[in-house]
Amino acid sequence: MKRYNVFYFIFEALKGMKRNGVMTFASVAVLLSCLLVIGGFSLIVMNIDFNLDQLGNLNEMVAFCESDADDATVSRIHKEISALDNVKGEPILSTKEAQLEALKQENESLYGDITDEENPLSDSFTITYEDNSKVPELAYQLMQIEGIRKVRNNLELANKIEAVKHGIMLVFIWFLAILFVVSVFIIINTIKLSVFSRRKEISIMRYIGATNWFITLPFIFEGIFIGIASGIGSFFILKFGYSAIVSGAASDIQMISFISFSEISTVVLIAALGIGIITGVLGGLISLGKYLKD
Amino acid sequence: MIEFRNVKKSYPTGTVALKDVNLHIDDGEFVFIVGHSGAGKTTLMKLLLCEEKPTSGNIIVGKYNLTTIPDRKIPYYRRQLGVVFQDFRLLPNKTVYENVAFAMQIVGTPAKMIKRRVPAILNTVNLADKHASFPSEISGGEQQRVALARALANNPSVIIADEPTGNIDPQMSLEIMNLLIKINKLGKTVIVVTHEQSLVDYYKQRVITIKDGVVVEDHVGGMFE
Repeated sequence: MKRYNVFYFIFEALKGMKRNGVMTFASVAVLLSCLLVIGGFSLIVMNIDFNLDQLGNLNEMVAFCESDADDATVSRIHKEISALDNVKGEPILSTKEAQLEALKQENESLYGDITDEENPLSDSFTITYEDNSKVPELAYQLMQIEGIRKVRNNLELANKIEAVKHGIMLVFIWFLAILFVVSVFIIINTIKLSVFSRRKEISIMRYIGATNWFITLPFIFEGIFIGIASGIGSFFILKFGYSAIVSGAASDIQMISFISFSEISTVVLIAALGIGIITGVLGGLISLGKYLKD
Repeated sequence: MIEFRNVKKSYPTGTVALKDVNLHIDDGEFVFIVGHSGAGKTTLMKLLLCEEKPTSGNIIVGKYNLTTIPDRKIPYYRRQLGVVFQDFRLLPNKTVYENVAFAMQIVGTPAKMIKRRVPAILNTVNLADKHASFPSEISGGEQQRVALARALANNPSVIIADEPTGNIDPQMSLEIMNLLIKINKLGKTVIVVTHEQSLVDYYKQRVITIKDGVVVEDHVGGMFE
């Protein structure tokens, strides 16, 4: 089997890029912009997601015991709650005495006179759960435990936040798809120009017996190089841009926490290169199609 | 061996270029294909180069049936052919040497072999001293010899020349034809498509005449009608 020299393809690709220098530059610039928009949007979405997840108390619910429950009942309830599926860790007991104490410290004049005997509060358990989608089930199971009077959860709020996250994701995916298509078209145009300027060469190659792969590969490499250049460029712009914005904003807006770029840099780099290379390959394949038909 | 069996070719526009062509060319033959413009010569060439497929009938070249050949095998079929065109079709940005080497490169010939073979081929077509020239720096006749060298590069069994002397002066035409005869003597099948009566008459080889899409004459040492 004869071997082809991979440097031939790379060399030819670089030559093609040089020949259509302006167009190559233009497509790197446009693809770079697309990647920047995609990347910027991804970072925003990642941060929103990160912050929403930080609202950890959303996956908690509180179960109140009967107000006359004695210590034995409370410890039985504790055990029964621990045994349930979907309960993460140990339920945290807060006794009615402790709750009254907290209220007294908050407002002595209003609650100061209430004695422990008169205490209208009840012992409660704070339960952390694992699976959001099984909250109604868990609430039902808790209500079945003898001695539990009431269960309170944040399901509605959690659902709303979940819906917002879904909405953002949906917009994000559409956004991504459109930008991806735009990028592919830009690369197709560049490579088409390159193909056009070499159509004579291509027709000669075909007469001599070059396989379609042999003819196509330099153009695919061209697309890949454009993709890599844009990918690397956008990575560094995102890196410095994001870091600058975060360090500026973090001091101003303290209620929002930001992901540090180093945590996600690999993902961003791989994504930028990946999208660049995929658009490059697609662009190369699509733009050459009609020249290879016999 | 090249064989056309009841080959018919019509185009989507309705033009019937070849009506019913039957031909047999043995290995190592030298054949002129002649005819006026519009007779069907170009279509015949296109069929041989697998640029077009026949509407009906079979074309057999060596082990390939061009009527049924799958697209992916066409490049490998074409490697058996060396093609020379009227307009040379050299790559203007490559030197004489590179133009010939290019043909070997694209079929994956190792660099070592290319370095050995290209000078030898350039020698065959008497162009050894022009190896570093660009096509624009040499005459039409010389360009055509480069094209011929390129056609020979991959050692094909068949050489097809489409009006090889159409763009060059008569003196050079003779030189090209002599080279083609020389190549034929080396055992290669040579097919020359032409409408130059004087050349055909001079060389007295087998002549196949096409008129209105059919073979009207086929004889050896023949004269142009």
